Amino acid sequence: MDAASCLRRRSPRVAGESVKMTSNFRWFLPTFTLLCLLSRVSGQRKGAPRDLKCTTNNLRAWDCSWKAPSGAGRSALYEVCIENRSPPCYRSGKTNTKIPTLLPGDHEITINPLHDSGSSLSRFTLNEKDVSFIPDPPEILDLSADFPASTLHLKWTDRGSVFPHHSRVIWEIKVLRKDSMEVVKVVTHNTTLNGVDTVHHWSWASDMPLECATHSVGLRCYVDDPHFSGRKEWSDWSPLKNVSWSTDSPGKVFPQDKVILVGSDITFCCVTQEKVSSAQIGYAKCPLIHLDGENVAIRIHNISVSEDSGTNVVFTTKENIYGTVIFAGYPPDIPQKLNCETVDLRGIICTWDPGRPTALVGPRNTSYTLSESFSGKYVKFKRAEALINESYQLLFQILPDQELYNFTLTAHNPLGQSQARILVNVTERVYPRTPSSIKVKDINATAVTLSWHLPGNFAKIKLLCQVEINKMNSVQELRNVTIAGADGSRYLAAVGRLHPYTVYTFRVRCATEPFWKWSRWSDEKQYLTTEAIPSKGPDTWREWRSDGKNLIIYWKPLPVSEANGKILFYNVSCSSDEKTQSFSEIPDPQHKAEMQLDKNDYIISVVAKNSAGASPPSKIASMEIPNDDLRTEQAVGTGRGILLTWGHDPNATCDYVVKWCNASQAEPCLMDWRKVPANSTEAVIESDQFRPGVRYHFFLYGCRNQGYQLLRSVIGYIEELAPIVAPNFTVEDTSADSILVKWEDIPVEELRGFLRGYLFYFEKGERDTSKMRGLESGRPDVKVKNITDTSQKTLRIADLQGRTSYHLVLRAYTSGGLGPGKSMFVVTKENSVGLIIAILIPVAVAVLVGVVTSILCYRKREWIKETFYPDIPNPENCKALQFQKGICEGNSGLKTLEMNPCTPNNVEVLETRTAVPKIEDTEIVSPVAERPEESSPEADPESQVVVSYCPPVVEEEVPNPGADEGGGASQVIYIDVQSMYQPQARPEEELETDPAAGAGAAAGYKPQMHLPVTPAAEDAAAEDGADKSAGYRPQASVRAWNLASPDSPRSTDSNSEAVSFGSPCSINSRQFLIPPKDEDSPKSGGGGWSFTNFFQNKPND
Amino acid sequence: MDLRAGDSWGIIACLCTVLWHLPAVPALNRTGDPGPGPSIQKTYDLTRYLEHQLRTLAGTYLNYLGPPFNEPDFNPPRLGAETLPRATVNLEVWRSLNDKLRLTQNYEAYSHLLCHLRGLNRQAAAAELRRSLAHFCTSLQGLLGSIAGVMAALGYPLPQPLPGAEPAWAPGPAHSDFLQKMDDFWLLKELQTWLWRSAKDFNRLKKKMQPPAAAVTLHLEAHGF
Repeated sequence: MDAASCLRRRSPRVAGESVKMTSNFRWFLPTFTLLCLLSRVSGQRKGAPRDLKCTTNNLRAWDCSWKAPSGAGRSALYEVCIENRSPPCYRSGKTNTKIPTLLPGDHEITINPLHDSGSSLSRFTLNEKDVSFIPDPPEILDLSADFPASTLHLKWTDRGSVFPHHSRVIWEIKVLRKDSMEVVKVVTHNTTLNGVDTVHHWSWASDMPLECATHSVGLRCYVDDPHFSGRKEWSDWSPLKNVSWSTDSPGKVFPQDKVILVGSDITFCCVTQEKVSSAQIGYAKCPLIHLDGENVAIRIHNISVSEDSGTNVVFTTKENIYGTVIFAGYPPDIPQKLNCETVDLRGIICTWDPGRPTALVGPRNTSYTLSESFSGKYVKFKRAEALINESYQLLFQILPDQELYNFTLTAHNPLGQSQARILVNVTERVYPRTPSSIKVKDINATAVTLSWHLPGNFAKIKLLCQVEINKMNSVQELRNVTIAGADGSRYLAAVGRLHPYTVYTFRVRCATEPFWKWSRWSDEKQYLTTEAIPSKGPDTWREWRSDGKNLIIYWKPLPVSEANGKILFYNVSCSSDEKTQSFSEIPDPQHKAEMQLDKNDYIISVVAKNSAGASPPSKIASMEIPNDDLRTEQAVGTGRGILLTWGHDPNATCDYVVKWCNASQAEPCLMDWRKVPANSTEAVIESDQFRPGVRYHFFLYGCRNQGYQLLRSVIGYIEELAPIVAPNFTVEDTSADSILVKWEDIPVEELRGFLRGYLFYFEKGERDTSKMRGLESGRPDVKVKNITDTSQKTLRIADLQGRTSYHLVLRAYTSGGLGPGKSMFVVTKENSVGLIIAILIPVAVAVLVGVVTSILCYRKREWIKETFYPDIPNPENCKALQFQKGICEGNSGLKTLEMNPCTPNNVEVLETRTAVPKIEDTEIVSPVAERPEESSPEADPESQVVVSYCPPVVEEEVPNPGADEGGGASQVIYIDVQSMYQPQARPEEELETDPAAGAGAAAGYKPQMHLPVTPAAEDAAAEDGADKSAGYRPQASVRAWNLASPDSPRSTDSNSEAVSFGSPCSINSRQFLIPPKDEDSPKSGGGGWSFTNFFQNKPND
Repeated sequence: MDLRAGDSWGIIACLCTVLWHLPAVPALNRTGDPGPGPSIQKTYDLTRYLEHQLRTLAGTYLNYLGPPFNEPDFNPPRLGAETLPRATVNLEVWRSLNDKLRLTQNYEAYSHLLCHLRGLNRQAAAAELRRSLAHFCTSLQGLLGSIAGVMAALGYPLPQPLPGAEPAWAPGPAHSDFLQKMDDFWLLKELQTWLWRSAKDFNRLKKKMQPPAAAVTLHLEAHGF
């Protein structure tokens, strides 16, 4: 008992002072062993404690528990003794006890129930491996919510002081959502225990706004102590901590006004007491996710970029609309093309390109900060509105004594930030402003001083400036000037090597050294340099008048580059050994002067003067040395100029002179002149005045001491052209077989080239024939003569035909081509012998033919009589007789007498014909209407006897074989002789009737008189039809018809009916019913034709 | 709210009329005393012109706000827009208003609305929209001047500006973007309703101020005989 109490009493000390415990161990161990042995003996005798289990929560003490022996009372007291420990025994009124941590290895533990006589002592072997290490549930110090960020912040302590060793701890945190405690997140978090209590933090961003639902967090841990060999287990979960949001507003949508990255997923929720019916983002409706109560949420995946005012998310309830605005955009891009330079070394301007747009504007737009690391200064850039086509730039003031700047440009917006860096030496990055206020001052005629203003503090550096010099019609020139810099002052530069009296345009640009960039060019400044004396005397020439007494002095105006100013006047002087003659102050536009000189060995001097002074004199000798062996040559140029060559003259003392003029101009001949260096032997003379086809005269003068000598005289063209006129030619003489032609020269102006010859064309032809035009076209009947001897002026053309018209053409040609031709028609004279022969031969032939015919007729007179004039007329010969009429009448005449033999038959006169109807009557009778009754004689041949004449036309036009052959036998046809002599009326009636019968068969006949009974329309139709059906045409109106006699040429010619008068004969008797005399008389038949008629009609054919 | 093509001539005509008449508005030109009739007519014309102008502006602005604000059937409750003066009024109450009260209400309403509209202008991110809003504000300022002119012509004193009405408009810190958009929506809607009401008000005033036509006729006839 004492020992036990002692143990219990000392136990706290044991826990703290293990060293002392070992010192007492020597006496404690035998006692403890003894007790244990006693306990085991008694335990075995009765019930004993069993199932000893030990755990620990801090590795410092073990909680051991056991099961009480059966039958043990409530007030049982146990003595737990540990072998070899001091204090060895602990008493406990419960079935568990805390014992200090035991060393690794087996330990024997006895549990002895005291005051229980029936129970016996239990003995256990306890090892650390059998002990479970279960830490206490961790304690959450704090759980807070950052609602705008939807983030939970958890704070807890690890109670590290409790544990004896440094160990690794695994924390498991779980986040639960909603009242139903859905686990939304389980995460492990590792820390280390370091012997002291440490507070740990853990934050978690919720994918759903924390306002949407209650969020709870629980925590447990697992201590992984490396020294503990027993079983290590997770602690229990800590008590849950909750976070929830409460408001008194009726409803709200979360998150509010949030800025998120494009493409993110986001959940919106509506916290409301009302039932939400729908939700939409932009135009799109979204399915609702129900949360606690009436709260709902929507989940948006891959959100697209927002408009300027953001994307609206709206929840609609029955009564209200709740919403929020979300801004989906991008974090700022890295600033591109960051560049820093200075214009004046007072401030640095940094420009950049913002890169990809962020789609965020207004307060969410990107802000920029330009910071300099050496000085620690910075400037900010913030603009609510996104710039369009405008550079982003910031001005940073240059610091004294600092040349190197290390800039960092930071772009920042709610979604992030980006940076760009640049290190610049400011003196090497100068882009000067545009020089201004350019001024020019004279130094002299060839040099000026240029000054300009350039703002900026360039005191420490040098400026490199460029002056651009522009002269009219000249290449621009650039000159570089290096100037020491100054602080905002004017800069000066001298510009020399200029021409006097010349308009220059200056402009300036500057850069710094070392070179970075040229400034822009300044505005242009125009300046006229002052005048200087002319640098040369004028180019001079002289010409003697043809009388040899007057000398004309010519000079050319000085070119601008040599005049050096405005030439005011010229001074001309002629000096010889004896006297001097001069003209002063000849005003500028005049460039010649004439002097009367008594002899010709003067020296002429010409001086040009401007406001600055006089030019050096140009001198020329007046004498012209004669040249005897001079001949004029010909030359042709190249189109632009003409080449003159000459032999080298060693005596030449000065330049050759080539002068030229238009060959056709009057004296003095001078258009222009040109001086050629004395050592030359050729010159190409070109001038804008030269025209093709114009003859020029060139003179080459050699220069001697005494004067000039004409060396060559050349006429030429720069280009030859064809003559523009034809040579004027005349016919000098004409015979029956030849023509002598003479022509004149073409004037030089119209020749337009050197004449090379003439072409003479001739051929037979008259003036009116059109083939004349193509005379020169090389037709074989055109003869050509080429006259190459240009001095020839006449030509005789032989071997021509007499009394024939000839067409002659003469054309001149040069190397430039063929000129126009002059044409002429000439008739050769008549050959009289041939004419006589031509008359006599036909006369002789005619006489011979007449004689032969007469002889033949005489010899065959019987046959002729029998054939043509038989004594007894043979009716069949009617045809022969009628033949001649038929010529005139056409086929109708033949048919008239081509009758079949008429068989006599009964003659029955059914009707007596009335008298000849008057013309007036016919007018109301329509031939068409009468046709059915009268046009069918064969319809009832036996009951009628047709009393009719025998109009051949009718038979032709109405072919009726039956009537001709079979039916003909029953007819007696009378030729109504009387009717033949009815000059007008009778034919009229016939025209009305018979032709009407034939009209249906489209006969060629047509009544001459048109009856005006039918309406006008019918008339037209009838006429048209008739015109088409036959060659016959109505001749005239009624009146015309009445007036025309049948035998009039017109009537005869056109009216077939009228010529049907042959010699009428009775078919039965075959006798002519008219006297033969009538038949012979052409006048008896109104339609008969006569020789005279024939000729009268001929023109109408 | 879309402006139809046919309306453009009407707008131009209205604008011309307004510009033509502006120099004669008593508020701007007090040299003569033409009486209240012409100035009421001009104020009425200006109201109609502003109606047209607002139709275009509102279309642009609601499109800027985005859906559902630009949807034709969008009709949210009047949540945070309580500070806006209400144009809707009971018909009997409206009829019973006297001229002074009628003009005073108009003047006060446009003073408030103008103040809010300037705030709208400050917020808009798009430059083009800001220009349109500024232009409309100027026009609305002109209307306010016209109403003041009519009141002066009729001898009514101008209402004293309420404390806090004129100072710079600033949104409350708790105002979310969405509620701000709702306010903008209601501002435009209320402005539209006020312009309608003003047109009626000035029409009524105009009729009231016209001299009796019969009397004039009789007078002329008497001269004629």
